[in-house]
Amino acid sequence: LDIRNTVGNIPMEWYKDFPHIGYNLDGKKIYKPIRNKDELDDFLDKMENPEYWRTVHDKQTGSDVVLSDDQVELVNRLQRGQFGDVNFNECEPMVEFFSSDVMIHPVTNRPADKRSFIPSLTEKEKVSKLVHAIKMGWIKPRRVEDDGRGRYYNLWASEDSSILARHKMHLPAPKIPLPGHHESYNPPPEYLFTDEERALWEQQDPADRKLPFVPRKYSSLRQVPAFSQFIHERFERCLDLYLCPRQRKMRVNVNPEDLIPQLPKPKDLQPFPTTRSLVYRGHSGLVRSISVSPSGQWLASGSDDGSVRFWEVCSSRCMKTVQVGGAVKSVAWNPNPSVCLLAVALDSVVLILSPSLADKQVILSSERLLSAQQEGEEPAEGNGSVVWSEAEGEELNQGLRLKIQHPKAVHQVVWHAKGDYLASVMPDNTSHLQVYIHQLSRRRSQNPFSRNKGLVQCISFHPIRPYFFVATQRSIRIYNLVKQEMTKKLQTNSKWISSMAVHPGGDHVICGSYDCKLSWFDLDLSTKPYKMLRHHKKAVRGVAYHRLYPLFASASDDGSVIVCHGTVYNDLLQNPLIVPVKVLRGHVMTHDLGVLDVTFHPTQPWVFSSGADATICLFT
Amino acid sequence: MSQIQARFFTEDKRYVVDDVPFSIPAASEVQDLSNVINKLLEAKNGNKVDFDFLVRGQFLRTSLSTHMATEGISTVWILTGSYDKTARIWSTEGKPAMTVAGHTDVVKDVAWVKREGLTSLLLTASLDQTVLLWEWNSERNKVKARHCCRGHAGSVDTISVDPTGTKFCSGSWDKMLKIWSAVPTDEQDEIEEPADRPRKKQKTQQLGLTRTPLMTLSGHSEAVSSVLWCDSEEVCSASWDHTIRIWDVDTGGMKTTLTGSKVFNCISYSPLCRRLASGSTDRHIRLWDPRTKDGSLVLLSLTSHTGWVTAVKWAPSHAHQLVSGSLDNLVKLWDTRSCKAPLYDLAAHEDKVFCVDWTESGLMLSGGADNKLYTYRYSAQQAEA
Repeated sequence: LDIRNTVGNIPMEWYKDFPHIGYNLDGKKIYKPIRNKDELDDFLDKMENPEYWRTVHDKQTGSDVVLSDDQVELVNRLQRGQFGDVNFNECEPMVEFFSSDVMIHPVTNRPADKRSFIPSLTEKEKVSKLVHAIKMGWIKPRRVEDDGRGRYYNLWASEDSSILARHKMHLPAPKIPLPGHHESYNPPPEYLFTDEERALWEQQDPADRKLPFVPRKYSSLRQVPAFSQFIHERFERCLDLYLCPRQRKMRVNVNPEDLIPQLPKPKDLQPFPTTRSLVYRGHSGLVRSISVSPSGQWLASGSDDGSVRFWEVCSSRCMKTVQVGGAVKSVAWNPNPSVCLLAVALDSVVLILSPSLADKQVILSSERLLSAQQEGEEPAEGNGSVVWSEAEGEELNQGLRLKIQHPKAVHQVVWHAKGDYLASVMPDNTSHLQVYIHQLSRRRSQNPFSRNKGLVQCISFHPIRPYFFVATQRSIRIYNLVKQEMTKKLQTNSKWISSMAVHPGGDHVICGSYDCKLSWFDLDLSTKPYKMLRHHKKAVRGVAYHRLYPLFASASDDGSVIVCHGTVYNDLLQNPLIVPVKVLRGHVMTHDLGVLDVTFHPTQPWVFSSGADATICLFT
Repeated sequence: MSQIQARFFTEDKRYVVDDVPFSIPAASEVQDLSNVINKLLEAKNGNKVDFDFLVRGQFLRTSLSTHMATEGISTVWILTGSYDKTARIWSTEGKPAMTVAGHTDVVKDVAWVKREGLTSLLLTASLDQTVLLWEWNSERNKVKARHCCRGHAGSVDTISVDPTGTKFCSGSWDKMLKIWSAVPTDEQDEIEEPADRPRKKQKTQQLGLTRTPLMTLSGHSEAVSSVLWCDSEEVCSASWDHTIRIWDVDTGGMKTTLTGSKVFNCISYSPLCRRLASGSTDRHIRLWDPRTKDGSLVLLSLTSHTGWVTAVKWAPSHAHQLVSGSLDNLVKLWDTRSCKAPLYDLAAHEDKVFCVDWTESGLMLSGGADNKLYTYRYSAQQAEA
């Protein structure tokens, strides 16, 4: 019997008043079941009916239905949220349609549409619509803005350059060094001070100390006390920051070698003497002085053994020995090539020797010069202390001609370039009669100086002009003989001048001193030395110029002769070029004395040197 | 086979032969000499006579060369000049034969004018500015000064005789070269005496007759250290002014100048290779070609000495050999074909070597400051003199 109501989903209150509740499929009215249960019966039913809880009133049919167990089970399942059907397994294994395994057959084998290869048609439509709209002016495109000038501001355009410079010059303070092991609260034992180090630390000045504190050791961080020097340290740092002047040091990138002037190489400055060629042996005492004849054939030497020897230059043969009976201090060959005379200074006498080592004509003219009669004129004043005498007898045979007796010991004799005048030096601190100038032809002597200016060390005539050079211990005075006054005084920085030489041109003077210095004076430049050469290790004993070649040499107690090139230029603006060129060693140091005198050959680039080892060396 | 020059004289008037030197092979025996005399006498006589010969008073029994060797007669003489103001003549064995004394000062250079026969002429140049021409009779061993050549104003350092033996040239410290006649005459040339005589008497007596120079060649600016004759018309001189000059004797003018950089001490010319060798104070020996027209071209530079090269001499028979002596006490024999090092270093002297020479037979001589004259033979034997 199918009593399912066919009225549909209507509120059942419409059939409240009717005896039927709806119509079944056949169209017959479905009459409400007789309901004769009132409230009390409902209540009793609720209490006593064991099936009450399963009884459901069906509004469609208006009847109470008692649910079966299955139906109650179904209701419970639904209320729990489970599926109604018991046999439904909601955990069926999934059938993957799109699995990770690559299968043989694709899920779908539908070929790709053409629209996946060509540009999108829908977008094309949209774009064409937009373009049309832009063309029609309905849509205005967004204009790209030009990010050019005017968008930013040049902060530093009108900046003050001094401020900029100051910023550039800013030198930050050096950073405080990071703490090291010394500052540790538990340093390794070697960082702690030992007693000596502690004592040393306490002794030193705070500025000298390496560490401004004493390293301490604590067993744990808790025990470390407050840092007593904290404020002091901060204060010092502040001072460093704002009080210490800091300046950028402009370091010049200069090669020190560029500052040294480029001197020409010695081999460009040939010829100069390089090797020892000949040794003249024969003396038995130290040879104090040597002199070469103006022709260059003979060499005369005077020695402490009381003899004057004449040597042939090219063969080193001693041609003649003259015993003069006293240590010879100085020999000087007369530079006049037409006479052959030698002046020898020994003790307090000056001898004039005429060695017959030249042409007969020359010897004749020497004799003529020496034998000029005084013709009855009285000796001039000032001549009293100096006595001229002729040699006689045996001395004549030896070659002696004249003797000039001086009041004191004579240290040096020097000829004038013309060969007639002779100057001699008797060093004496107290008197003004230290220098005598003698005239050979008239046998006259005179003192040019009236006042004492110091101990005279050496003298020299000017080669061309009438000047006279007198070297005292510290300065060189130049006197004009014609005007009879002092022209110049050259100040050397040396303590004790030993020797002096005048350049053949007459404008330059070199002097050597006992404090190892050689000073070159340019008389046109100044009275101070133009150059001071400190090549020697010990006292400079003798200096000499070459007559023709631009060479000069200095002899020293360290046993060496240093030959230097010194070109003097004709144009007065250019300073002389001085290049040391060769160190010549040929002598043996004897009794702490080395080379005592040096002189050049008159025509060849050769130098002679005489030493304390009683030899004379020729370097060529 | 070496030849000996011999003269024959006899007091037997039948067999007088011309008193001319004949060149005779050294190994000749008495029979050979006899044949020679017979040949010479063939013109006069017809017979052959056997002769006996006396050499220096001794009968000749063996061959000439052995006789001479045993008797110690040599025909090669060495002439040396020394700083003791004398010249000496030595035989090659080392025996002094004669002392030539007469100069008042050191004898700087010596030269033979002619050496053949009994009388020889020799020259000595000295520091006393004169050159003496001596005649030496080797048989009687007497020497006589024939001429005293005055004219130089400085010491005469070098002399050289020309190939013909009639002239000689001298160079001196007065920078001049003077040509003189080397033929002894009996005339004295006049020289001008200075007007006033010196007060001191001249101790020197003049030896021989005075001779003045035929020609004076001037041009050097410093002393002349060495002269030689290239041929009989050309003189070559080396000087301290760093030049070598070649002069023409006929005109007295300078033909070529070769300039060097250092003082020239000595030169030597070899006609075999036509080269000039020079020794200088820079220890090199340089070879020059005197015929170069342009400036100075050093063909070769031989360096080995450690001191001044004071003497060089070409070998008379070898075109490439020369010997040099130096102040480093060594005498070196060079072959110019191997110029890096000398063939031999002859270290016999104890002091500086001043002069070297060759004899005709290839003996080398050297003399030095140790007062000794050494002779050396190529096969590295040496004998002391």
